[in-house]
Amino acid sequence: MEELESESSTIITISDVLEYLFCPRFIYFMYCLDIPQHEENRFKVIKGRDVHKKRQMTNREYVRKKLNCISKESEVYVVSKAHHIKGIVDEVLFLEDNTAAPLEYKFAEYKDKVFSTYKYQLVLQALLIKENYNIEVQKGYICYTRSNSMIKELAFKLSDFKKANDIIKDIIQIVDKGKYPQATKSKNKCIDCCYRNICA
Amino acid sequence: MLVWVIYDIADDPIRKKVSDKCKNYGLYRVQKSVFLGDLNANQRDSLAIECEDLIDPEVDSVYIFPMDDESFRKVKLIGQAFDKELVSDEVLTTFF
Repeated sequence: MEELESESSTIITISDVLEYLFCPRFIYFMYCLDIPQHEENRFKVIKGRDVHKKRQMTNREYVRKKLNCISKESEVYVVSKAHHIKGIVDEVLFLEDNTAAPLEYKFAEYKDKVFSTYKYQLVLQALLIKENYNIEVQKGYICYTRSNSMIKELAFKLSDFKKANDIIKDIIQIVDKGKYPQATKSKNKCIDCCYRNICA
Repeated sequence: MLVWVIYDIADDPIRKKVSDKCKNYGLYRVQKSVFLGDLNANQRDSLAIECEDLIDPEVDSVYIFPMDDESFRKVKLIGQAFDKELVSDEVLTTFF
């Protein structure tokens, strides 16, 4: 596994990790079989992208003082060759305590818990910010735009970063070796999956 | 899960758009402004946002009621009734 990480030149996106966490088979269908998801046909995806664009254009200078933020950078494109990952962070917040934190906008309602997909998205963004800005990242924020822009804070543990790295290794193995992974254990997810007709 | 979609929309073109959306989601027309069919949680949510985008919330209303199978069996039909069997998902699956 360790060897594979250093040898592989594959760079995956943070979105790939979200899809992997939803179901590992997504990676196989997308990268090994090259079957697109056509997520752009889903109204919620289009609407979410629209909300993102509008948010980008409004209140650009607004800094969240409630989160002890002193400055921010928006739509930051970050890459890490060491971690084999790239992605865009909606906002990088620079906090009073000389640490930074990623902030992610979600076109979603808050339903009493933060999903692990969201959590690991923030963890990966934290990894990328750490490496690119050389600054400590201890927590991240999610803004639920459909719950009156409610903000949820997530504190990162060391084990979260380790788990995130393991997930990346797993994904790269699927992409590089064409390994057919196990489907998600949660069958509820299959009901609305775009690959349900071809997934054995 | 079975879902009832009931609306009261003032503007003709908007009403048409909402009814087209309902049809696109595979719902069955029960009355002029009443649709019924089987939708999963995400489809329900998605249809709600689409309707929200179309209507004028100051004057129009759209209700989306989920209903469990047990309650659906208790539904009483009087007069020009719709075909209950056609709407329930068990019968629909035999078509495909």
